Amino acid sequence: MTAPLPKRIIKETERLQSEPVPGISAQPHDDNARYFDVMVEGPGGSCYEGGIFNLELFLPDDYPMCPPRIRFLTRIYHPNIDRLGRICLDVLKNNWSPALQIRTILLSIQALLGAPNPEDPLNEAVAKQWKENQPEAIRTAREWTKLYAQKK
Amino acid sequence: MADVEERPHKKRRFFVDEAPIDDSTFSGEPSSPDDIKPLPETNGFDVHLDQQASTDVFDAATFQAVAGGHVQVSAIRSLQARYGPDLEQAVNAYFDGSWKTPSPQKPAYTARNAGQGSISFGVQPRNAKAQERSTPSTSSAQPASPPSKLPALDTMPTMRYIGALGVAGWTTRSGTNLLKPGDVVKIDRTKQQAIQKAGKGGKVKQLVRRTQDVIVRFTNVKGEELGRLEKESALWISTLVDQRVCSFEGYCIFAPEKVRTNDTVYIQLKCYLLKEAFEVSNFIKPLENNRETGIFEAKETSDERDLRLRQIGLVKLFSEINLHPSKVNETTARHKREGILQAAEVAEQYEQQDTGMKAKRSTPEDGGGSSPPSEDAAEEGEELEQDQLDSLYKKAQSFDFNTPEAQPAATFAMDLRKYQKQALHWMLNKETSQKDEERQHSMHPLWEEYLWPTKDAEDAPVPTVTGHDCFYVNPYSGEMSLDFPVQEQTCLGGILADEMGLGKTIEMLSLIHSHTSPEQQAAVQSGSLGSVNSLPRLPKTSADVERAPATTLVVAPMSLLAQWASEAEKASKQGTLKVLLYYGNEKNANLQNLCCGANATTAPNVIITSYGVVLSEFNSVAAHGGNRGSHGGLFSLEYWRVILDEAHMIKNRQSKTAKACYELAATHRWVLTGTPIVNRLEDLFSLVRFLRVEPWSNFSFWKTFITMPFEKGEFVRALDVVQTVLEPLVLRRTKDMKTPDGEALVPLPPRIIEIEKVELSTPEREVYNHIFARAKRTFTANVEAGTLMKSYTTIFAQILRLRQSCCHPILTRNKAIMAEEEAAEEAADIANGLADDMDLQTLIERFQADEGEQDASKFGAHVLKQIQEEAEMECPICSEEPMDEQAVTGCWHSACKKCLLDYIEHQSSKGELPRCFNCREPINARDVFEVIRHEDDNDAAPTNALTAAMDLDEDDELYGNTQRGRKASQEAPRITLRRVNQLSSAKITTLLNQLKRLRKAEPLTKTVIFSQFTSFLDLLAPALTSANIQWLRFDGSMSQKERAKVLAEFANRPKFTVLFLSLRAGGVGLNLTCAKRVFMMDPWWSFAVEAQAIDRVHRMGQTEEVKVTRFVVEGSIEEKMLKVQDRKKFIASSLGMMSDEEKKAQRIEDIRELLS
Repeated sequence: MTAPLPKRIIKETERLQSEPVPGISAQPHDDNARYFDVMVEGPGGSCYEGGIFNLELFLPDDYPMCPPRIRFLTRIYHPNIDRLGRICLDVLKNNWSPALQIRTILLSIQALLGAPNPEDPLNEAVAKQWKENQPEAIRTAREWTKLYAQKK
Repeated sequence: MADVEERPHKKRRFFVDEAPIDDSTFSGEPSSPDDIKPLPETNGFDVHLDQQASTDVFDAATFQAVAGGHVQVSAIRSLQARYGPDLEQAVNAYFDGSWKTPSPQKPAYTARNAGQGSISFGVQPRNAKAQERSTPSTSSAQPASPPSKLPALDTMPTMRYIGALGVAGWTTRSGTNLLKPGDVVKIDRTKQQAIQKAGKGGKVKQLVRRTQDVIVRFTNVKGEELGRLEKESALWISTLVDQRVCSFEGYCIFAPEKVRTNDTVYIQLKCYLLKEAFEVSNFIKPLENNRETGIFEAKETSDERDLRLRQIGLVKLFSEINLHPSKVNETTARHKREGILQAAEVAEQYEQQDTGMKAKRSTPEDGGGSSPPSEDAAEEGEELEQDQLDSLYKKAQSFDFNTPEAQPAATFAMDLRKYQKQALHWMLNKETSQKDEERQHSMHPLWEEYLWPTKDAEDAPVPTVTGHDCFYVNPYSGEMSLDFPVQEQTCLGGILADEMGLGKTIEMLSLIHSHTSPEQQAAVQSGSLGSVNSLPRLPKTSADVERAPATTLVVAPMSLLAQWASEAEKASKQGTLKVLLYYGNEKNANLQNLCCGANATTAPNVIITSYGVVLSEFNSVAAHGGNRGSHGGLFSLEYWRVILDEAHMIKNRQSKTAKACYELAATHRWVLTGTPIVNRLEDLFSLVRFLRVEPWSNFSFWKTFITMPFEKGEFVRALDVVQTVLEPLVLRRTKDMKTPDGEALVPLPPRIIEIEKVELSTPEREVYNHIFARAKRTFTANVEAGTLMKSYTTIFAQILRLRQSCCHPILTRNKAIMAEEEAAEEAADIANGLADDMDLQTLIERFQADEGEQDASKFGAHVLKQIQEEAEMECPICSEEPMDEQAVTGCWHSACKKCLLDYIEHQSSKGELPRCFNCREPINARDVFEVIRHEDDNDAAPTNALTAAMDLDEDDELYGNTQRGRKASQEAPRITLRRVNQLSSAKITTLLNQLKRLRKAEPLTKTVIFSQFTSFLDLLAPALTSANIQWLRFDGSMSQKERAKVLAEFANRPKFTVLFLSLRAGGVGLNLTCAKRVFMMDPWWSFAVEAQAIDRVHRMGQTEEVKVTRFVVEGSIEEKMLKVQDRKKFIASSLGMMSDEEKKAQRIEDIRELLS
C-alpha cells in the first residue's frame, strides 16, 4: 500500500463511524484501510432475523470506478449467495456506479437478505428448494441462522 | 587575336646547357606592331638585381647556377660600357618631357661596378638607390660619378621612380641576336577590349571575361614583340599598367644567344608611379563601393574586382621592390599586409566557386539542427558558435568596476545605479574627448606612408621634389595620395551593449540630458531669460541638410516606440525634455522646420521613430534624387545624436533598412543592442559601418582581416581582430556580473524554472504516434537513400507537425475538414437541444416557459437549479467538497469534471457503453459540460482589451457569452455550461489547472504565456475565456496603437491577467516586469531563445521572484528537444569549434535523436 488513501475512502470510513447505519457496521483493519470487517444484522421479519452475519469487504485500487469486493464469511442459506459467501447482486456487478458507497452497498445486501431472488440464483440447490418448497427453504434458512449466525 | 594565355608547355631545358656567351647581338625582326597604348619606353637599367627580386620572380641563385657568374659579369660590363655615361641625358629628357615620345634613344644604363660579380646578386640591400625617372638617354655607367645633386623639382612629375625589380619572361619568337643582355625592352599591354553589351533596361553591362587578360608583352625598342612576361608577374603588372598606376621600363639581363620560342629571358624592370595615379578622381571610392556589393559576396562588381586587382598589384609591387612603409597606423600595423594577398586569393577562389557557393548557401542545412531555415538567406558569413561568441565578448566585458562615474544633469529625474553612472561617464567621454587637435596630426588608419627613394638601384640619386618626401598608400582601397591623409573625425559614439535589463534606455536618456550641444545650451539660456528667441522661426527653405543641434533621433522597433516615449517622460523632470513620436499621422510635421538651429528652444529634444519610417523615408528621398532637404523628413537634418535601439535590426549590411540607417546624419552615433553579434561576424560590421569607425567601416578592410581569415578557418586570428574592434567601441555588462564585493550588478530576484510534464490523453497520443511513425519512416528512408540533407526540409516539416501535435492535435489538422466536422456536430446538437455554451439561467427560463411537457420542464428547472446549488456539495465520485470543476452530464448530474471524464473513460475502456453514474442513462463523452461560475469575476470586465467597448450591462439572451457583464441585481452567481473537451488538449488542461490554482492563491498576479505557434495561442485564448480567466494578446499583426494599449492595459489592470505572446514577436525589447509568472508552452531548439523571452519578465525592474513553468509532453519529441538543448550547451563548451563536416554530422545526429 504505497499510494495514499483517496479522500473518498477516508470520508466514507469516517462517516461509517460517525453516522452508523442501524444494523450494519464496517470496521477497517488497522494495517489495511481498504479492508473492512463487516457485520450485517438480518433484517427484521425475514428468515434471517436475529442473525448477525460477518462479511469481508475489500476496496480495490480503482475504487470507486470499480465496485468493492465483498463476501459473506458467515454461512448463510440464501439463493443469491453461494457456499463460498459470494453474493449475486447487480450493483456489485454491472450496475455498479461510483456514486454508490460502502454504506449503500451494505444496505443493498441487507435488503437482499430481506428479499431473496430465486429467479437469479447463484446457489442452484438453494434456489431450487426456494422455488419448489419455499416454507421448507425458509425453515432451513432460520435453522442456519441459529446455527451459524447466532451470537453465542 | 589568338593570344596564348599560358606559356606553351615545352620541356624546360637546362639553361646551363645553353648558357653560352651572350654577347652576340640579335637583330630584332619586326613583329606585330604595338596596337595599344604607347607605353613610355623606358630605358634605364638596373643591372643590379635587387634582393627583393630574388625570391619569386627572379631567383638569383638559380640564375647564377644557370648562367654562371662570368656571364653575368660580362653582360654587366658590356651594358655598362654601352649606356653608362648617359644618365644625365636621360634625366634631362625626362624633365623636358621628351621621354614620352618614343625616341630611338639609347637606353640609359646605370651599372654597378663590374666588380660586384655574381655573388652580390640577390643581396643588394633595399636602399640600393633608385635611379631616377626613366629617361631616354644614355647615362653614365659610373656609380661613382652620378650627378649626386640633382635639382629638386617643384611639382610632382608625371611619373616618379619608385623601385626596380627583376622578372622572368619567355620569348615568342626565335632567332639569333633578337635580344641580348643590356638591350632595352619595352613593356607593352595589349588589353583586350571589354565586351560591352546592352543589358535589360538599356543598362550597359560589362561582361566579365572568363579569364582575365593579363598578358604583358615586352618588345624591343622598335616595338616589335619579343616575348611575354611570366604569368606570375604579368598578373599584377598588367593591372598596374592598365589602371594607370605605374609604368615600367626595362632592359634585358639575360637572354640566350640563340633565342628560340619559349626560351626564358630575364629582365630588369624599373617602376615609376604615374602622377595621375595620385589624382583621386581616378579612383574607385571605397565608401561608395561599400554599398554596391551584390547580394552574394562572391559576386563582385567589376569595380570591386578592379579594386581588388589593384590592391594586389600594389602590395605585390611594394614587396617586389622591397619598399616598406615608413609610417603605419598602429591598428593597421597589427594586421599584416599579407592579409590582403591572402584575401585576394580567396576572393579569386570564390569567384570560381561562385555558382557552387550559391547553391550551397541556399540549402537548408545552414539552419542546421539549431534553428529553422532562416528567411534572410542573403546574409553572408558563417555562423558563430556560442563559445566563439563568448570569447568575443569576454574582452569587451572586462569591465572595471572602478571606472569613474558621472553624475547626470539636474534635469534627469531618475536615480542611476553605480554602473549606470559609469556608463554615462564612458559615453560622455566617447562623445567629447576625441575631437581634439592631436587627432589632426594622426594619420588615417587605413593609410601607409612611404618615402620616395632618393637613390636608384644603382645608388644613383634620383631627383627629389620639394615638399614631397613621401607618398601615401591605402592598401585596402588601392588609393594613393601625395597629401597627408588626415584621420577623419572618429566615431563620437559607440556600442552600448549592456545585457538586456541593465537599463540601456535609461543610460542613454541620462546621456541625452547630460551632454547637449553648445547651440542647445545657448538656446536654453536665452530661453530662460524669456527672450523672443523662443518664437519659432521659419528657416530658409533649403535643399541642404540642416543641423538639428538640440535633437536626438531614436530609431527603435515599432513595438518599443511607446516604451521609449514613456521612459523618456519618466526620466525627465517636468518640461525639460520635449519628445516627439514621429510615426504614422505625426509624420506630417516638417522636421526641418521644427528642429533647425534657429528653433533650438522649441525643437523636440528627442524624436522617436521606427526602422520602418526610416526606411520608407529613405526610399522616398532616394526617389527624389537624393534631395534630402526639401523632403523635410528624417533625412533633412543632421542630428546632434542618433541612437539605434535594438540595433541588430540592421545586422545585415545588405538590407535596405541598414543602408537607410547608414545615411542618417548626426554628430554622435550610438547603437544599443544586447547582442552586437547575433550569429555572424558581419553583424558587427554593419554596426561599425553605421558608427563610421575607421578603418573597420571599410568593407574591404573588414573582409580582408576578418571575414576571409574566419572563413578560411583561422578562427583565432579573426576573432582576435574582432576583439580589437570591439574593445574601444563597446561597453558591455552582463546581468551576472558581480561587483568586487560579490554583489550582483543588478540585484534581480531569483528566477525559478520548472518543467511541467504533461501526459497526452489517449486520442492525442494516437495522433502523435501516427505522425511520429510517419516522420520516422521518412527519416529512415532518406538515411538509407543517403538523401538526408536534401530532404531536410521535409523532415523538418514533419518534426514541426510532431511538435504541434504535442500542443494540440487540431494544430496539425486540415482546416477545411475540421470546419465540416464541426458543422456536423453542431447540427446534431441543435437537434438535441444542446450547445457548446449554455447560459444556465437562460436554460432554466426556457424550461419554465415550456408549457407542453410541464413535468419535464419542472423537473428540468429543478435539476438545473440543483446544479447551481450542488456546486457546494461533494463530488459523488471522489467526495471532494466542493466539487473540483463541477461538470454535468447530458442528464444534468454533477460531479468533478475529472471524475466524470475518468469514469466515462473507465467504462469505455472496458468496452461498455458509458452511462451516467447516477441515473445510468447512456451518456456521450462529448455531452459533458463544464459548469462555469462567474463569482470570481465580479467586476465583469471583458477579458479582452480590444473589446473593452463591449462592456455591456444589459441582460443578454444569447447563450454562453461569458464576456457579458452580469446584472448587479442578480442574486445567484451566473452560471454557464460549456462543453468540455471542446478546445482542450492535455497541455491546455494542465495550463488551465495551473492558472486556476494560481488565481486562487494569488488573485492579482500577472502571467505571461509564450508559445511559438500563434495558432496554439488562438486555441488557448478561448480556453481561458471559458475558464473565465482574463487575457490579453500581443502579436505582430497589431498596430502600434493597439500594442501600446495592450501593454498599458496589462501593466495597469489591477487583477489576475494573462498576456499571450508569440515567442518570436515577444522576444525582443519588451518590458513585462509587471508579471511574475511565465509559462512556456513549447520548447524551442535552443534554450537561449526561451531565456530571452523569459528575460522580458525577469529583467531590471522586476522586484519579485519569477517562476517559470515549461510545459513538456512526456515521452515525446519535446523531451528529446530538451536533451538536444542540453547537449548543445555541452558541446559548445567542451569541443569548441567544429568543422563543417562535424556540424553536418551533428545535425543528422540531432534529428536521429529526435526520432529515436
